[in-house]
Amino acid sequence: MPAISVVNLGKSFRTKVRPEGLSSSLSSLFRPSYRDIEAVRGVSFEVEEGEVVAFLGPNGAGKSTTIKMLTGILRPSSGKALVLGLDPSRRRAELARSIGAVFGQRSQLWFHLPPSDSFRLLGAVYEIEPKDLARRRAELVERFGIGDYMDVPVRKLSLGERIRCEIAASLLHDPRVLFLDEPTIGLDLVVKREVRALLAEIAKRDGTTVFITSHDVGDIERICKRAIIIHHGSVVVDESMKELRHRSLSRKYIGVKYASPVDLDFGAIRPVKRTETAASYVVDTNEHRLEGLLRALVGRGELEDLTVEDEALEDIIARIYKAPKAGEAQ
Amino acid sequence: MRTSRLRAYARFLGASLAVNVQAVIEYRVNFLVQVFGMMLNNAAFALFWGVLIGKVGNLGGYGFSDVMLIWALVSTSFGLAHVVFGNVRSIGAIVQKGELDLYLLQPKDVLVNVLASRTVVSAWGDFLYGYIVLALIPGMDLSRLALFSLLSVSGAAIFAATFAAAESLCFFLGDASGISDAITEFLLSFSLYPETIFDKGMRWVFYTIIPSGFIAFLPLSILKSAAWLLVPAALGVAALYAAASYGFFRLGLRRYESGGQMGTRL
Repeated sequence: MPAISVVNLGKSFRTKVRPEGLSSSLSSLFRPSYRDIEAVRGVSFEVEEGEVVAFLGPNGAGKSTTIKMLTGILRPSSGKALVLGLDPSRRRAELARSIGAVFGQRSQLWFHLPPSDSFRLLGAVYEIEPKDLARRRAELVERFGIGDYMDVPVRKLSLGERIRCEIAASLLHDPRVLFLDEPTIGLDLVVKREVRALLAEIAKRDGTTVFITSHDVGDIERICKRAIIIHHGSVVVDESMKELRHRSLSRKYIGVKYASPVDLDFGAIRPVKRTETAASYVVDTNEHRLEGLLRALVGRGELEDLTVEDEALEDIIARIYKAPKAGEAQ
Repeated sequence: MRTSRLRAYARFLGASLAVNVQAVIEYRVNFLVQVFGMMLNNAAFALFWGVLIGKVGNLGGYGFSDVMLIWALVSTSFGLAHVVFGNVRSIGAIVQKGELDLYLLQPKDVLVNVLASRTVVSAWGDFLYGYIVLALIPGMDLSRLALFSLLSVSGAAIFAATFAAAESLCFFLGDASGISDAITEFLLSFSLYPETIFDKGMRWVFYTIIPSGFIAFLPLSILKSAAWLLVPAALGVAALYAAASYGFFRLGLRRYESGGQMGTRL
């Protein structure tokens, strides 16, 4: 049985159309008009137990709405979702015992109290026996290195310290599926790395299914094995990270620097950036032979530096985001 | 199975109250000022009623001690509702900000979870004030204390049920804070005056949408005549209000649309 199974999931919101001008506003008091906005439409995918999946998409693509339907916060307008075999909209409370969630922008820890108090309350919320709670808490405190912060009010913790406590709190009841919505938002580079390492370890050691949304490509590259990209409310890509990276193999980024000024134009291949002595090119190897260009570059003058790189994952994803909506002209 | 669920909820409510109390005691001076400030505020009204009744005599058949008993009942009931269910008048704001998400992610009943996740500091003053007034009114004994406490529990449940239902209007109307504030004001104001001063034609309101009758007037007569037999009926009425309010909230919850605002748990 897959951990998450989504078939033709859709969600639309009804919003009031607000006309411009006072008189139109006044008439809308008596005759309001509404418009349906489709936030998610016909989304289908499956996630097996133990998989670590990145759920990506530009702002407003429908990521959070989908996660909210999977966790039972929102009721789908159409289609069906099953998480651990349960329908989240009908059996929310039962499902909540087996899933954990970290929303980077919302905290489940009490702001004025130390995490230890929140942990105790969460123990009562998830009905964890006091003895099991103490054992689980000790284990998480050690794994997350949060022993020093457990008795400090959350408001006095740095964002990095807080997010570590936050993730530890979400694992207190040993969930089988962990939903993370922007878990590294606002964190500095060092803390981001620590959080990613922790998440990767959770997935590997505990076999927890991890479903993560993030705008930070670093999160995805280091933790996830598969990416689902959603755009304009529909799934546009669903493939392994390896396949996603393969999309870039035909595009090469070439940087070159010479000791003295040289002519850097090669007919059909024009530099995307250039100075008198340096240039960079983006080459599609399906259209141009890489070897020929490299030979030509080497022969142009005294080389100081030459780099050939694959397209960055961030750029691949950005290209997918920029693709026009189905049915729209480019 | 049923008892274990009840036990789990009792543990949860106990832990919630403990955490909420710890959170407000973090700011000790603020806590003390608000608690004693509210008691002083209520005491000022006692003075006003003392002067008024001293000048005009009984009001609609109510003497000074009757009015003080009403104040004690309403104050302790109102206080108890906000001590245990501190979010009862914040449901609208929580829903509008999309903060219900946090509670929906947890395996507890959403309404109980939301209500119990905060305590109102000044309400502790209201809660204690009722008992102080009761102690000062002649005729105090253990039986009266027990009866007063039970009636306050039923009063607190009706207060909470009415406020929660008024706040749940936000699911249907978007911003319903104006209506909710008005219902709160009506309920408190009508509960604190002798029933007999109101026109007979409008008294039905006190036993329906603005249930001051069940919070103040009926409990007063039960307390005065030590009518223990009517206590189950009072608790039953409270349970009916609670059930109706719960149903209304659940109906509204189906329309919940969440939101994307950032938030923290205070």
